[in-house]
Amino acid sequence: MPALYSLGFRQLLPSRFAVIGVARTEGTDDSWREDMKQAVQQHARDEFRQDVWDALAANMHYLSADFSDEHGADQLEQLVVSCDKDCELLGNRVYYLAVPPPAFPEIVEALGKRRSATGWTRLIVEKPFGHDLASAKELNKMLWEHFDESEIFRIDHYLGKETVQNMLALRFANGVFEPIWNRQFIDHVQITVAESIGIEGRAGYYENAGAIRDIFQNHLLQLLALTAMEPPIDFKADSVHSEKVKVLKALHTPGPKSVVRGQYGRGYVEGESVPGYREEQGVAPDSMTETFVAAKLYVDNWRWADTPFYVRMGKRLARRETTIAIQFKRAPHPPFEETAAEGLRPNVLLVHVQPDEGVSLAIGAKVPGQGMTIRTVHMDFLYGGAFRTGMPEAYERLILDTMLGDGTLFTRADEVEEQWLLVDAIVAAWQRDRPAFPNYAAGTWGPPSSEELLHRDGRSWRRH
Amino acid sequence: MSDTGVTSSWTGEGVRLADVDRAIAQLRAGTASEGGQPSLRTSVMTHMAWVPEDWQQAARSALSGMAERHPSRTILLFPDPNAGSDGIDATVALECFAVPGVDREICSEVIELRLRGPRAKAPASVVEPLLISDLPVFLRWRGEPPWGTPELDQLVGVTDRLIVDSTEWDDLPHPYRHLAGFFDRVAASDIAWARTSRWRALLSTLWPDVAQVGTVRVTGTAAQAWLIVGWLRSRLGRDDIELEHVDAQRLEGIDLDGRPAPFPPGDPPIPSDVLSDELDRFSRDPVYEAAVLASVE
Repeated sequence: MPALYSLGFRQLLPSRFAVIGVARTEGTDDSWREDMKQAVQQHARDEFRQDVWDALAANMHYLSADFSDEHGADQLEQLVVSCDKDCELLGNRVYYLAVPPPAFPEIVEALGKRRSATGWTRLIVEKPFGHDLASAKELNKMLWEHFDESEIFRIDHYLGKETVQNMLALRFANGVFEPIWNRQFIDHVQITVAESIGIEGRAGYYENAGAIRDIFQNHLLQLLALTAMEPPIDFKADSVHSEKVKVLKALHTPGPKSVVRGQYGRGYVEGESVPGYREEQGVAPDSMTETFVAAKLYVDNWRWADTPFYVRMGKRLARRETTIAIQFKRAPHPPFEETAAEGLRPNVLLVHVQPDEGVSLAIGAKVPGQGMTIRTVHMDFLYGGAFRTGMPEAYERLILDTMLGDGTLFTRADEVEEQWLLVDAIVAAWQRDRPAFPNYAAGTWGPPSSEELLHRDGRSWRRH
Repeated sequence: MSDTGVTSSWTGEGVRLADVDRAIAQLRAGTASEGGQPSLRTSVMTHMAWVPEDWQQAARSALSGMAERHPSRTILLFPDPNAGSDGIDATVALECFAVPGVDREICSEVIELRLRGPRAKAPASVVEPLLISDLPVFLRWRGEPPWGTPELDQLVGVTDRLIVDSTEWDDLPHPYRHLAGFFDRVAASDIAWARTSRWRALLSTLWPDVAQVGTVRVTGTAAQAWLIVGWLRSRLGRDDIELEHVDAQRLEGIDLDGRPAPFPPGDPPIPSDVLSDELDRFSRDPVYEAAVLASVE
C-alpha cells in the first residue's frame, strides 16, 4: 500500500482505480482503510497528504473470504464486478497474490474461472515460486491452464531496484565498459547479498526455505544473470528474458567443494548480543537449515569461460549490503618499485545495490608529493548525490509496470525453472553430509570455509 | 585547498546504525546549494580510533586538520562500559572544504559513537556496518591497549594498520612484548617511533663510530628511549648496548658513551602531522618491529 500511495502522490495511478484487500481475517472497509493508512504513514517514502490518501481510500474495499470453497471466490467476483461498474474500469484487473504456496492452486483456479470477459487481467505472483524444479513446473502448468504467460508477472523485488536496473544502463549505455566486460579483462566477479537481521519471526517459512531458496534461487541468480548477460537487441521483456535465460542455462553446476553452507550461532550485531538461529522462536533446536550460502559458479560461454563468479548470501552477517564487484585483472607490468605500489589494489567496479546506492570505481593514483607512491582511490557515483529526486521503491516501479503490461523486470517461467535446476543440484549434494551447525557467529562474514573457498584460488572476499 | 571548514552535524541517543547512515546521507544532501549537487565524497580510508574517556580531548585535537589532508570516514569510539545503561549515542559531522577553481567541496565524515554498557564489549560489530567498502582501515588506539581483551582482538580483526603511541604506556618496555604478538596479524605503527625519526637519521650519519657504542643515554620519553636503544641493538646486531634514560616530555638529547650527539635540524613535527604520516603507510615496518623486539631482549 505504501507503494500505491507513492504512485498516487506522483499522480501515476489511473484516474479510475479501485483496490480490494482480500484475506481470511475478519475486517471491514473502514478497519482496513485505517490499517492501511497507518502503514502508509509509517512506511511510505513521501510525506502523508490527506488529499492523496482520500483519493486512494475512496475506492478501497475489504473482503474477508476463504477460497477453500466457491462461496469466497464468488463473493470476490461480485465485489470486483461492482467496483468495475462503479468506477468504469472496463474489466481491467490486476490480482496480486501474496499468499503461502499451499493456498496458491485453489486461488489461481478460482480467479481463472472468473476472468473478466472484457479488458485485461494480470496476475502478480510473489516468491517463493515453488520449492524445487518439480513444484515450480507444476505451478507454471497450473497457471498456464488459466492465464497466458504474458499475463503472469512473477515478482522479484530486487529487479525493481533502481541500482539493479542501473547495471543495465552502466553496461549497455556506456561504450567504455562493454569491450572489457569479459574473461580477457575481468579476473572474477563477487556478488554479496548480506543481511544483518535474523529471520524476524518467520521461522515457519525460513525453516523450509533456507538461504538457498530465500535469496540464492531468486535475487542472487537474477543479479548474476544481469551481470553476465549478452546485450539484448532491445529492452522489451522477451528480449531481456531470453538473454538472462541463456546465462542461467550456461551456469556451471558446481561440485560439492564449490558450495559452502552455514548457520549462525550466537554473536553480536551492532554491539548487541543476539541469539543463534536454533534459539530463534519456532526453529527446531537441531535445525539443519542453512542461513548462509557461498558458491563459486562458472558461466560456460564464450564471454565468461573460466571466470569465477563468487557469490555469497546470508543472515546475521556483519552488515547489510548488496553489491556486485567486478574485479579486473591487474596491470600486466607496473613499472614501479614494489614499495611504491604497496597501497595499490586491483581495479574494482563496485555496484552498490543497497545501501549507499551507486557505483564506485577503484583506481590507482599517485599520492601528491615527492617520489612515486601509488594508492587506490575511489571514484564514486552516488545516486543520492547525482540526482536530486528520491529513489522510487522497487514495488512502485513493479506495480506500475504491471498495470502498463511491461514484464521486463519480472521473471519468465523458463528463468525460474533454470534457477531451480541449479538449486536442486546443489541441494541434492547436501543430502549426503551433515555439517556441524552452527558454524559462524552472528555478526561475522560467515563460516571459515567461505574464506577458504576463495583462498584456494589465491583470492579473497572483498573487504567490507 | 581552502582552509575553510564548514561543519554540519547530527546527534542522536540510543540510535541504530541505520540512523547514523541516514544522518550521513542527509547531511551530505544538505551540502548542496540550491539546484546544485552535494559535495563530493573522496574518502581514501576509514580511520577508527578507540578513545577511553581520559583521551577524548587529545584525540579530537590530533584530528584537527586531518580531514583536509586525508579525506576519510573517521569513527571515534568512546567506550563507556560502566554507563549503567545499554545503547549507542552518536554524533555525525561533515567537515567540508572548498576546492579552488571548482564550485564544489570535498567532505569528510566524522562519526563519534559512545558505546554504553555491554556495547563496549563488541565494538567490531558496531564499526563493521560503517566501514567504507574496499578502503583500508586504520585503527588508532589511544592509551595502552588492554592486551588480551575481546574488544582489542575484535577491532584488530577488521583493521589493516594499528597505530599506537607507546609514549602513552606505563611500565615500558614490557608492553612491547604484547604488541609484538600482533605483528603477524596487523601492520603496526607507533607515533613514539615516528617522533624518533629525525634522531635516527642523525645517528646513522655517525657510522661507523656509532657501531662501537656501549651505553646510550636518552633524554626523552621512556618509549623514545627504549625504541632508540632497540633500534641500535637490532641494526647493529648487538644485544649488549645499555640504556640510560632521563625522563623528559620530548626527545631532547642523546649521548653515546657520554658524548652528546649533535641536535638534528628542524623542528619536531606536530601531533597531527605525525599521525598523518602514519596514515600514508600501508605495509609492515620490519625496522620498527625489530626495534620493538630488541628493546625487550
